Amino acid sequence: MSIKILKPVMLTTLVSDGREGFRSLGIGPGGAMDNFAMRVANYLVGNEHTAVIELGYSSAEILFQQDQLACVTGKGFTLLADEQEVSLWKPFKLKANAVLKIIKSAPGAWAYLSVHGGWKAETWLGSTTTNLSAGAGGFYGKALQKNDVVEWNGNKFQINETKVLPWGISINELNDVYSPASEIRCMPSIETDLLSPQSKGKFISDEFIISSQSNRMGYRLKGSALSLSERIEMISSPVDFGTIQLLPDGNLIVLMADHQTTGGYPRIASVIKADQPKLSQLLPGDKVNFKMITSKEAEVEFLSREQKIKELKRNCITRFNDYFR
Amino acid sequence: MISKRVNRLLKKSFEGFIESVPSYSSLAVFFDYLKVKSVVKEGQAPFDFIKGFLERMIDQPAKDVEEANVVVKLPVLYDGDDLDFVAQQHQLSRDEVISIHTAKQYRVFMIGFLPGFPYMGSVDERIASPRKNSPRTVVPAGSVGIAGIQTGIYQQVSPGGWQLIGRTPMKIFDVKKESPCLLKPGDAVKFYSIDKTEFEKLNEY
Repeated sequence: MSIKILKPVMLTTLVSDGREGFRSLGIGPGGAMDNFAMRVANYLVGNEHTAVIELGYSSAEILFQQDQLACVTGKGFTLLADEQEVSLWKPFKLKANAVLKIIKSAPGAWAYLSVHGGWKAETWLGSTTTNLSAGAGGFYGKALQKNDVVEWNGNKFQINETKVLPWGISINELNDVYSPASEIRCMPSIETDLLSPQSKGKFISDEFIISSQSNRMGYRLKGSALSLSERIEMISSPVDFGTIQLLPDGNLIVLMADHQTTGGYPRIASVIKADQPKLSQLLPGDKVNFKMITSKEAEVEFLSREQKIKELKRNCITRFNDYFR
Repeated sequence: MISKRVNRLLKKSFEGFIESVPSYSSLAVFFDYLKVKSVVKEGQAPFDFIKGFLERMIDQPAKDVEEANVVVKLPVLYDGDDLDFVAQQHQLSRDEVISIHTAKQYRVFMIGFLPGFPYMGSVDERIASPRKNSPRTVVPAGSVGIAGIQTGIYQQVSPGGWQLIGRTPMKIFDVKKESPCLLKPGDAVKFYSIDKTEFEKLNEY
Protein backbone atom coordinates (compact mmCIF):
# COMPACT_ATOMS: atom_id res chain seq x y z
CA MET A 1 0.00 0.00 0.00
CA SER A 2 2.47 2.58 -1.12
CA ILE A 3 3.93 4.87 -3.73
CA LYS A 4 7.50 5.10 -4.90
CA ILE A 5 9.06 8.41 -5.78
CA LEU A 6 10.51 8.07 -9.29
CA LYS A 7 11.41 11.72 -9.62
CA PRO A 8 11.17 14.08 -6.65
CA VAL A 9 10.97 17.84 -6.90
CA MET A 10 13.52 20.08 -5.21
CA LEU A 11 11.55 19.96 -1.98
CA THR A 12 9.03 17.20 -1.34
CA THR A 13 7.82 16.81 2.24
CA LEU A 14 4.93 15.42 4.23
CA VAL A 15 2.94 18.27 5.73
CA SER A 16 -0.19 18.52 7.86
CA ASP A 17 -1.75 20.94 10.31
CA GLY A 18 0.95 22.75 12.26
CA ARG A 19 2.69 21.58 15.41
CA GLU A 20 1.17 24.02 17.88
CA GLY A 21 2.34 24.53 21.45
CA PHE A 22 6.15 24.45 21.26
CA ARG A 23 7.08 27.91 20.06
CA SER A 24 8.47 28.72 23.51
CA LEU A 25 11.16 26.04 22.89
CA GLY A 26 11.91 27.55 19.53
CA ILE A 27 9.94 24.86 17.70
CA GLY A 28 7.63 26.53 15.18
CA PRO A 29 4.34 25.09 13.92
CA GLY A 30 5.52 24.49 10.34
CA GLY A 31 2.79 22.84 8.25
CA ALA A 32 1.79 23.47 4.64
CA MET A 33 2.91 26.58 2.76
CA ASP A 34 -0.57 26.71 1.22
CA ASN A 35 -2.81 25.63 4.04
CA PHE A 36 -5.97 25.98 1.91
CA ALA A 37 -4.75 23.59 -0.81
CA MET A 38 -3.45 21.12 1.79
CA ARG A 39 -6.74 20.97 3.68
CA VAL A 40 -8.88 20.73 0.57
CA ALA A 41 -6.65 17.95 -0.85
CA ASN A 42 -7.67 15.91 2.17
CA TYR A 43 -11.39 16.66 1.90
CA LEU A 44 -11.53 15.78 -1.80
CA VAL A 45 -10.50 12.17 -1.09
CA GLY A 46 -12.70 11.81 1.99
CA ASN A 47 -10.09 12.52 4.69
CA GLU A 48 -10.24 15.00 7.55
CA HIS A 49 -6.79 15.81 8.95
CA THR A 50 -4.02 13.65 7.52
CA ALA A 51 -0.54 14.36 6.22
CA VAL A 52 -0.32 15.37 2.55
CA ILE A 53 2.73 15.37 0.26
CA GLU A 54 3.82 18.91 -0.59
CA LEU A 55 5.77 19.34 -3.83
CA GLY A 56 7.37 22.60 -4.83
CA TYR A 57 8.68 24.40 -7.89
CA SER A 58 9.34 21.59 -10.41
CA SER A 59 7.94 18.39 -11.95
CA ALA A 60 7.64 15.05 -10.18
CA GLU A 61 6.87 11.43 -11.10
CA ILE A 62 5.29 9.01 -8.69
CA LEU A 63 4.56 5.31 -9.08
CA PHE A 64 1.40 3.97 -7.43
CA GLN A 65 2.15 0.38 -6.42
CA GLN A 66 -1.52 -0.49 -5.70
CA ASP A 67 -4.97 0.82 -6.70
CA GLN A 68 -5.80 4.06 -4.94
CA LEU A 69 -7.94 7.18 -4.91
CA ALA A 70 -5.77 10.30 -5.08
CA CYS A 71 -5.99 14.04 -5.59
CA VAL A 72 -3.60 16.89 -6.35
CA THR A 73 -4.38 20.49 -5.42
CA GLY A 74 -2.28 23.63 -5.64
CA LYS A 75 -1.27 26.03 -8.36
CA GLY A 76 0.93 25.86 -11.44
CA PHE A 77 0.83 22.19 -12.35
CA THR A 78 -0.83 19.85 -14.84
CA LEU A 79 -1.29 16.14 -14.23
CA LEU A 80 -0.87 12.98 -16.25
CA ALA A 81 -2.19 9.83 -14.61
CA ASP A 82 -1.23 6.76 -16.58
CA GLU A 83 -0.66 9.12 -19.57
CA GLN A 84 -4.23 10.42 -19.26
CA GLU A 85 -4.77 14.06 -18.47
CA VAL A 86 -6.51 14.58 -15.12
CA SER A 87 -7.37 17.86 -13.38
CA LEU A 88 -6.00 19.56 -10.33
CA TRP A 89 -8.57 19.97 -7.53
CA LYS A 90 -10.48 16.82 -8.56
CA PRO A 91 -10.07 13.33 -7.11
CA PHE A 92 -9.17 10.50 -9.48
CA LYS A 93 -8.84 6.72 -9.36
CA LEU A 94 -5.51 5.15 -10.23
CA LYS A 95 -4.74 1.54 -11.18
CA ALA A 96 -1.82 -0.27 -9.58
CA ASN A 97 1.46 0.47 -11.41
CA ALA A 98 0.11 3.76 -12.79
CA VAL A 99 2.61 6.59 -12.93
CA LEU A 100 1.36 10.01 -11.84
CA LYS A 101 3.24 12.87 -13.46
CA ILE A 102 2.91 16.23 -11.71
CA ILE A 103 4.17 18.68 -14.30
CA LYS A 104 5.15 22.28 -13.58
CA SER A 105 3.41 24.19 -16.34
CA ALA A 106 2.04 27.55 -15.18
CA PRO A 107 2.52 30.29 -12.59
CA GLY A 108 2.31 28.81 -9.08
CA ALA A 109 4.67 27.12 -6.66
CA TRP A 110 3.24 24.28 -4.60
CA ALA A 111 1.19 21.13 -5.24
CA TYR A 112 -0.42 18.84 -2.64
CA LEU A 113 -0.87 15.11 -3.20
CA SER A 114 -3.38 13.30 -1.00
CA VAL A 115 -4.64 9.71 -0.98
CA HIS A 116 -7.70 8.23 0.66
CA GLY A 117 -6.82 7.21 4.22
CA GLY A 118 -3.80 9.50 4.32
CA TRP A 119 -0.05 8.91 4.21
CA LYS A 120 1.68 7.08 7.03
CA ALA A 121 3.70 9.72 8.83
CA GLU A 122 5.82 9.89 11.97
CA THR A 123 4.35 11.95 14.80
CA TRP A 124 6.71 14.26 16.71
CA LEU A 125 5.44 16.44 19.55
CA GLY A 126 1.84 15.80 18.57
CA SER A 127 1.99 16.52 14.83
CA THR A 128 2.87 14.58 11.68
CA THR A 129 4.14 17.60 9.79
CA THR A 130 7.83 17.51 8.83
CA ASN A 131 10.18 19.76 10.79
CA LEU A 132 13.23 19.80 8.54
CA SER A 133 15.31 21.94 10.88
CA ALA A 134 14.82 19.54 13.80
CA GLY A 135 14.84 16.49 11.52
CA ALA A 136 11.60 15.08 12.94
CA GLY A 137 7.99 14.32 11.95
CA GLY A 138 6.60 13.27 8.56
CA PHE A 139 8.92 11.00 6.58
CA TYR A 140 11.66 10.46 9.19
CA GLY A 141 12.05 14.24 9.46
CA LYS A 142 13.40 14.39 5.92
CA ALA A 143 12.46 15.53 2.44
CA LEU A 144 11.50 12.71 0.06
CA GLN A 145 14.21 11.54 -2.33
CA LYS A 146 14.22 9.40 -5.47
CA ASN A 147 13.20 5.77 -4.76
CA ASP A 148 11.73 6.56 -1.33
CA VAL A 149 8.61 4.51 -0.63
CA VAL A 150 5.76 6.22 1.21
CA GLU A 151 2.96 4.07 2.58
CA TRP A 152 -0.66 4.93 3.03
CA ASN A 153 -3.15 3.82 5.65
CA GLY A 154 -5.49 1.00 4.58
CA ASN A 155 -6.70 0.22 1.07
CA LYS A 156 -10.41 -0.07 0.41
CA PHE A 157 -10.27 0.45 -3.31
CA GLN A 158 -10.58 -2.01 -6.16
CA ILE A 159 -10.16 0.09 -9.27
CA ASN A 160 -10.93 -0.90 -12.87
CA GLU A 161 -9.61 2.11 -14.69
CA THR A 162 -7.92 5.45 -14.21
CA LYS A 163 -10.80 7.88 -13.94
CA VAL A 164 -11.52 11.41 -12.72
CA LEU A 165 -14.40 11.51 -10.25
CA PRO A 166 -17.31 13.90 -10.69
CA TRP A 167 -16.61 16.43 -7.94
CA GLY A 168 -14.02 19.07 -7.22
CA ILE A 169 -13.37 22.72 -6.53
CA SER A 170 -14.66 25.25 -9.07
CA ILE A 171 -12.69 28.03 -10.78
CA ASN A 172 -14.81 30.61 -8.93
CA GLU A 173 -14.01 29.08 -5.59
CA LEU A 174 -10.31 29.11 -6.48
CA ASN A 175 -10.34 32.69 -7.73
CA ASP A 176 -11.74 33.71 -4.40
CA VAL A 177 -8.53 32.44 -2.76
CA TYR A 178 -5.86 33.07 -5.43
CA SER A 179 -6.95 36.17 -7.41
CA PRO A 180 -5.79 38.80 -8.05
CA ALA A 181 -2.47 37.02 -7.61
CA SER A 182 -0.28 39.99 -6.79
CA GLU A 183 -2.59 41.73 -4.29
CA ILE A 184 -1.57 40.73 -0.78
CA ARG A 185 -3.51 42.18 2.13
CA CYS A 186 -1.72 43.04 5.39
CA MET A 187 -2.64 44.41 8.75
CA PRO A 188 -0.48 46.60 10.98
CA SER A 189 2.08 44.95 13.27
CA ILE A 190 3.98 46.01 16.37
CA GLU A 191 6.58 48.26 14.71
CA THR A 192 4.45 49.60 11.83
CA ASP A 193 4.45 53.10 13.27
CA LEU A 194 8.25 53.19 13.44
CA LEU A 195 8.38 53.32 9.62
CA SER A 196 9.17 56.76 8.24
CA PRO A 197 6.05 58.39 6.74
CA GLN A 198 7.65 58.17 3.28
CA SER A 199 8.36 54.43 3.71
CA LYS A 200 4.84 53.80 4.96
CA GLY A 201 3.58 55.29 1.71
CA LYS A 202 6.01 53.31 -0.44
CA PHE A 203 5.07 50.06 1.27
CA ILE A 204 1.54 50.26 -0.11
CA SER A 205 2.15 52.21 -3.34
CA ASP A 206 5.25 50.46 -4.70
CA GLU A 207 5.59 47.06 -6.30
CA PHE A 208 7.85 44.42 -4.73
CA ILE A 209 9.32 41.34 -6.41
CA ILE A 210 9.79 37.91 -4.80
CA SER A 211 13.55 37.30 -4.74
CA SER A 212 15.27 34.05 -5.63
CA GLN A 213 16.44 33.82 -2.00
CA SER A 214 13.04 32.50 -0.95
CA ASN A 215 12.11 29.20 0.60
CA ARG A 216 9.77 27.58 3.13
CA MET A 217 11.21 29.78 5.89
CA GLY A 218 10.63 33.11 4.23
CA TYR A 219 10.14 35.02 0.99
CA ARG A 220 12.61 37.85 0.53
CA LEU A 221 11.41 40.81 -1.50
CA LYS A 222 13.21 43.21 -3.81
CA GLY A 223 11.97 46.75 -4.32
CA SER A 224 12.17 50.22 -2.82
CA ALA A 225 14.41 50.35 0.23
CA LEU A 226 12.32 51.25 3.29
CA SER A 227 13.54 52.82 6.49
CA LEU A 228 12.47 53.63 10.02
CA SER A 229 12.12 57.20 11.27
CA GLU A 230 15.11 56.50 13.49
CA ARG A 231 17.47 53.54 13.69
CA ILE A 232 16.82 51.11 16.56
CA GLU A 233 18.66 47.98 17.64
CA MET A 234 15.82 45.62 18.49
CA ILE A 235 15.80 42.82 20.97
CA SER A 236 14.38 39.55 19.70
CA SER A 237 10.62 39.23 19.86
CA PRO A 238 7.99 36.70 18.77
CA VAL A 239 7.08 36.42 15.07
CA ASP A 240 4.59 34.34 13.08
CA PHE A 241 3.66 33.11 9.58
CA GLY A 242 3.01 36.26 7.59
CA THR A 243 5.14 38.62 9.70
CA ILE A 244 6.90 41.12 7.40
CA GLN A 245 10.28 42.14 8.76
CA LEU A 246 12.37 45.10 7.66
CA LEU A 247 16.03 44.14 7.29
CA PRO A 248 18.71 46.74 8.07
CA ASP A 249 19.55 47.05 4.35
CA GLY A 250 15.99 48.31 3.72
CA ASN A 251 14.65 45.11 2.14
CA LEU A 252 11.67 43.11 3.35
CA ILE A 253 11.25 39.46 4.22
CA VAL A 254 7.88 37.76 4.75
CA LEU A 255 8.06 34.82 7.15
CA MET A 256 6.47 31.65 5.78
CA ALA A 257 5.49 28.19 7.12
CA ASP A 258 8.92 27.17 8.45
CA HIS A 259 9.52 30.57 10.03
CA GLN A 260 11.61 31.06 13.12
CA THR A 261 9.67 31.58 16.36
CA THR A 262 11.35 34.88 17.25
CA GLY A 263 13.22 37.49 15.29
CA GLY A 264 15.17 40.66 15.84
CA TYR A 265 14.08 42.84 12.95
CA PRO A 266 11.21 45.35 13.06
CA ARG A 267 7.83 43.80 12.25
CA ILE A 268 6.28 46.34 9.92
CA ALA A 269 3.12 44.42 8.93
CA SER A 270 1.49 40.97 8.90
CA VAL A 271 0.06 39.24 5.85
CA ILE A 272 -3.52 38.31 6.78
CA LYS A 273 -4.31 34.62 7.17
CA ALA A 274 -6.75 34.61 4.26
CA ASP A 275 -4.01 35.76 1.84
CA GLN A 276 -1.19 33.49 3.04
CA PRO A 277 -2.09 30.66 0.59
CA LYS A 278 -2.05 33.15 -2.29
CA LEU A 279 1.32 34.57 -1.25
CA SER A 280 2.77 31.08 -0.84
CA GLN A 281 1.94 30.29 -4.46
CA LEU A 282 4.02 33.21 -5.81
CA LEU A 283 7.37 32.40 -7.43
CA PRO A 284 10.68 34.24 -7.48
CA GLY A 285 10.21 37.06 -9.99
CA ASP A 286 6.48 37.47 -9.29
CA LYS A 287 5.10 40.88 -8.29
CA VAL A 288 3.54 41.75 -4.94
CA ASN A 289 1.39 44.78 -4.16
CA PHE A 290 0.59 45.20 -0.49
CA LYS A 291 -2.73 46.56 0.65
CA MET A 292 -3.17 47.61 4.27
CA ILE A 293 -6.44 46.70 6.01
CA THR A 294 -7.43 46.84 9.67
CA SER A 295 -7.24 43.86 12.02
CA LYS A 296 -11.06 43.94 12.25
CA GLU A 297 -11.31 43.57 8.47
CA ALA A 298 -8.73 40.77 8.58
CA GLU A 299 -10.91 38.97 11.15
CA VAL A 300 -13.91 39.22 8.84
CA GLU A 301 -11.87 37.81 5.93
CA PHE A 302 -10.60 34.96 8.10
CA LEU A 303 -14.08 34.05 9.33
CA SER A 304 -15.60 34.11 5.86
CA ARG A 305 -12.72 31.97 4.51
CA GLU A 306 -13.13 29.43 7.31
CA GLN A 307 -16.86 29.35 6.65
CA LYS A 308 -16.22 28.60 2.96
CA ILE A 309 -13.73 25.87 3.80
CA LYS A 310 -16.30 24.32 6.11
CA GLU A 311 -18.84 24.28 3.26
CA LEU A 312 -16.30 22.81 0.82
CA LYS A 313 -15.51 20.12 3.35
CA ARG A 314 -19.14 19.25 3.87
CA ASN A 315 -19.77 19.07 0.11
CA CYS A 316 -16.69 16.92 -0.50
CA ILE A 317 -17.56 14.44 2.24
CA THR A 318 -21.17 14.20 1.02
CA ARG A 319 -20.13 13.61 -2.61
CA PHE A 320 -17.54 11.07 -1.52
CA ASN A 321 -20.00 9.14 0.63
CA ASP A 322 -22.71 9.18 -2.07
CA TYR A 323 -20.30 7.90 -4.70
CA PHE A 324 -18.85 5.07 -2.67
CA ARG A 325 -22.05 4.03 -0.89
CA MET B 1 10.43 38.29 35.04
CA ILE B 2 8.19 37.50 32.14
CA SER B 3 8.38 33.68 32.45
CA LYS B 4 6.75 34.02 35.88
CA ARG B 5 3.78 35.68 34.28
CA VAL B 6 3.74 33.02 31.59
CA ASN B 7 3.43 30.25 34.11
CA ARG B 8 0.48 31.95 35.68
CA LEU B 9 -1.08 32.50 32.30
CA LEU B 10 -0.68 28.83 31.43
CA LYS B 11 -2.35 27.76 34.64
CA LYS B 12 -5.34 30.01 34.14
CA SER B 13 -5.57 29.49 30.45
CA PHE B 14 -8.86 30.07 28.67
CA GLU B 15 -10.76 28.00 26.14
CA GLY B 16 -8.87 28.15 22.84
CA PHE B 17 -5.53 29.11 24.41
CA ILE B 18 -2.65 27.50 22.46
CA GLU B 19 0.50 28.87 24.01
CA SER B 20 2.36 31.96 25.07
CA VAL B 21 5.83 32.83 23.82
CA PRO B 22 7.92 34.91 26.20
CA SER B 23 10.73 37.17 25.12
CA TYR B 24 12.71 39.90 26.90
CA SER B 25 10.09 42.57 27.03
CA SER B 26 7.07 41.10 25.34
CA LEU B 27 4.76 38.15 25.42
CA ALA B 28 2.97 36.74 22.39
CA VAL B 29 -0.22 34.82 23.05
CA PHE B 30 -1.41 32.35 20.42
CA PHE B 31 -5.02 31.27 20.42
CA ASP B 32 -7.50 29.37 18.31
CA TYR B 33 -9.61 32.17 16.94
CA LEU B 34 -12.65 30.04 16.18
CA LYS B 35 -12.68 28.40 19.62
CA VAL B 36 -12.39 31.70 21.46
CA LYS B 37 -15.04 33.19 19.20
CA SER B 38 -17.41 30.39 20.16
CA VAL B 39 -17.13 31.13 23.90
CA VAL B 40 -17.07 34.93 24.04
CA LYS B 41 -20.18 37.10 24.22
CA GLU B 42 -22.04 37.76 20.97
CA GLY B 43 -20.41 40.72 19.24
CA GLN B 44 -17.21 40.64 21.30
CA ALA B 45 -14.00 40.31 19.28
CA PRO B 46 -11.73 37.44 20.44
CA PHE B 47 -8.79 39.85 20.38
CA ASP B 48 -10.52 42.22 22.82
CA PHE B 49 -11.48 39.34 25.09
CA ILE B 50 -7.87 38.14 25.33
CA LYS B 51 -6.53 41.65 25.74
CA GLY B 52 -8.85 42.16 28.71
CA PHE B 53 -7.85 38.80 30.18
CA LEU B 54 -4.14 39.65 29.97
CA GLU B 55 -4.57 43.12 31.37
CA ARG B 56 -6.38 41.77 34.43
CA MET B 57 -3.63 39.19 34.92
CA ILE B 58 -0.70 41.58 34.52
CA ASP B 59 -2.17 43.84 37.20
CA GLN B 60 -1.78 41.14 39.82
CA PRO B 61 1.58 41.49 41.61
CA ALA B 62 4.23 38.78 41.16
CA LYS B 63 4.95 37.29 44.60
CA ASP B 64 8.46 35.95 44.23
CA VAL B 65 11.47 36.26 41.94
CA GLU B 66 12.85 33.24 40.12
CA GLU B 67 16.58 32.63 40.51
CA ALA B 68 18.74 30.62 38.16
CA ASN B 69 19.54 27.32 39.87
CA VAL B 70 21.44 25.55 37.09
CA VAL B 71 24.80 26.72 35.78
CA VAL B 72 25.72 25.09 32.47
CA LYS B 73 29.40 25.37 31.52
CA LEU B 74 30.00 25.37 27.78
CA PRO B 75 33.36 25.12 25.98
CA VAL B 76 33.95 27.41 22.99
CA LEU B 77 36.63 27.47 20.31
CA TYR B 78 36.90 31.21 19.64
CA ASP B 79 37.65 31.22 15.91
CA GLY B 80 34.47 32.84 14.52
CA ASP B 81 34.44 34.69 11.20
CA ASP B 82 33.31 37.91 12.91
CA LEU B 83 35.71 37.80 15.87
CA ASP B 84 38.02 40.27 14.09
CA PHE B 85 35.08 42.55 13.25
CA VAL B 86 33.94 42.61 16.90
CA ALA B 87 37.51 43.25 18.10
CA GLN B 88 38.20 46.01 15.57
CA GLN B 89 34.89 47.72 16.19
CA HIS B 90 35.78 48.14 19.87
CA GLN B 91 39.56 48.58 19.43
CA LEU B 92 40.22 45.36 21.29
CA SER B 93 42.47 42.38 20.57
CA ARG B 94 40.92 38.97 19.81
CA ASP B 95 42.10 37.75 23.23
CA GLU B 96 40.45 40.68 24.97
CA VAL B 97 37.12 39.88 23.28
CA ILE B 98 37.48 36.26 24.42
CA SER B 99 38.29 37.16 28.01
CA ILE B 100 35.40 39.61 28.18
CA HIS B 101 32.97 37.05 26.70
CA THR B 102 34.07 34.28 29.09
CA ALA B 103 34.19 36.49 32.20
CA LYS B 104 30.45 36.79 32.74
CA GLN B 105 27.77 34.31 33.66
CA TYR B 106 24.80 34.72 31.33
CA ARG B 107 21.12 34.13 31.87
CA VAL B 108 18.98 32.28 29.30
CA PHE B 109 16.20 34.78 28.73
CA MET B 110 14.29 32.88 26.12
CA ILE B 111 14.46 30.07 23.56
CA GLY B 112 13.50 31.00 20.07
CA PHE B 113 14.32 31.62 16.44
CA LEU B 114 15.20 27.93 15.89
CA PRO B 115 14.50 24.77 17.93
CA GLY B 116 16.42 25.24 21.18
CA PHE B 117 18.24 28.46 20.23
CA PRO B 118 19.05 30.21 23.57
CA TYR B 119 19.00 33.99 23.83
CA MET B 120 21.38 34.91 26.62
CA GLY B 121 22.63 38.11 28.14
CA SER B 122 23.67 40.53 28.79
CA VAL B 123 27.15 40.75 27.26
CA ASP B 124 29.53 43.45 28.40
CA GLU B 125 28.98 46.73 26.52
CA ARG B 126 32.64 46.54 25.42
CA ILE B 127 31.83 43.66 23.03
CA ALA B 128 28.18 44.39 22.20
CA SER B 129 27.79 44.44 18.40
CA PRO B 130 24.99 45.12 15.92
CA ARG B 131 23.61 42.35 13.72
CA LYS B 132 24.94 41.97 10.21
CA ASN B 133 23.21 44.20 7.64
CA SER B 134 22.20 41.20 5.60
CA PRO B 135 21.95 37.82 7.33
CA ARG B 136 24.29 35.01 6.26
CA THR B 137 22.44 32.29 4.39
CA VAL B 138 24.50 29.57 6.12
CA VAL B 139 25.80 29.65 9.70
CA PRO B 140 27.67 26.50 10.87
CA ALA B 141 26.19 24.40 13.70
CA GLY B 142 27.50 25.23 17.17
CA SER B 143 28.32 28.84 16.26
CA VAL B 144 28.35 31.27 19.18
CA GLY B 145 27.28 34.77 18.23
CA ILE B 146 26.60 38.26 19.51
CA ALA B 147 23.71 40.53 18.54
CA GLY B 148 23.43 43.78 20.45
CA ILE B 149 23.89 42.86 24.11
CA GLN B 150 22.68 39.30 23.52
CA THR B 151 24.75 36.18 23.01
CA GLY B 152 23.41 32.94 21.55
CA ILE B 153 24.24 29.56 20.04
CA TYR B 154 23.21 28.30 16.60
CA GLN B 155 22.67 24.65 17.50
CA GLN B 156 22.26 23.67 13.87
CA VAL B 157 23.12 24.94 10.40
CA SER B 158 20.81 27.82 9.54
CA PRO B 159 20.65 31.31 8.10
CA GLY B 160 21.48 34.00 10.64
CA GLY B 161 22.51 37.60 11.21
CA TRP B 162 24.49 37.44 14.45
CA GLN B 163 28.22 38.26 14.62
CA LEU B 164 29.98 34.90 14.95
CA ILE B 165 32.81 34.76 17.47
CA GLY B 166 33.30 31.01 17.99
CA ARG B 167 31.87 27.49 18.04
CA THR B 168 30.88 25.14 20.85
CA PRO B 169 31.38 21.41 20.26
CA MET B 170 28.42 20.58 22.55
CA LYS B 171 24.98 19.69 21.22
CA ILE B 172 22.41 21.83 22.98
CA PHE B 173 19.41 20.41 21.07
CA ASP B 174 18.73 16.72 20.45
CA VAL B 175 15.52 15.69 18.75
CA LYS B 176 15.79 12.11 20.05
CA LYS B 177 15.63 13.20 23.67
CA GLU B 178 12.31 13.43 25.42
CA SER B 179 13.09 17.02 26.38
CA PRO B 180 15.12 18.06 23.36
CA CYS B 181 16.58 21.32 24.75
CA LEU B 182 19.67 21.29 27.00
CA LEU B 183 19.02 24.87 28.09
CA LYS B 184 15.80 26.30 29.44
CA PRO B 185 14.70 29.86 30.11
CA GLY B 186 16.11 30.91 33.47
CA ASP B 187 19.28 28.73 33.33
CA ALA B 188 22.72 30.29 33.79
CA VAL B 189 25.50 29.68 31.25
CA LYS B 190 29.24 30.23 31.58
CA PHE B 191 31.51 29.89 28.53
CA TYR B 192 35.16 28.85 28.65
CA SER B 193 37.78 28.94 25.91
CA ILE B 194 39.22 25.77 24.40
CA ASP B 195 41.71 25.11 21.61
CA LYS B 196 41.24 23.20 18.37
CA THR B 197 42.50 19.87 19.79
CA GLU B 198 40.02 19.97 22.66
CA PHE B 199 37.28 21.02 20.28
CA GLU B 200 37.87 17.97 18.06
CA LYS B 201 37.91 15.72 21.11
CA LEU B 202 34.58 17.05 22.43
CA ASN B 203 32.85 17.55 19.08
CA GLU B 204 29.31 16.13 19.19
CA TYR B 205 28.23 17.41 15.76
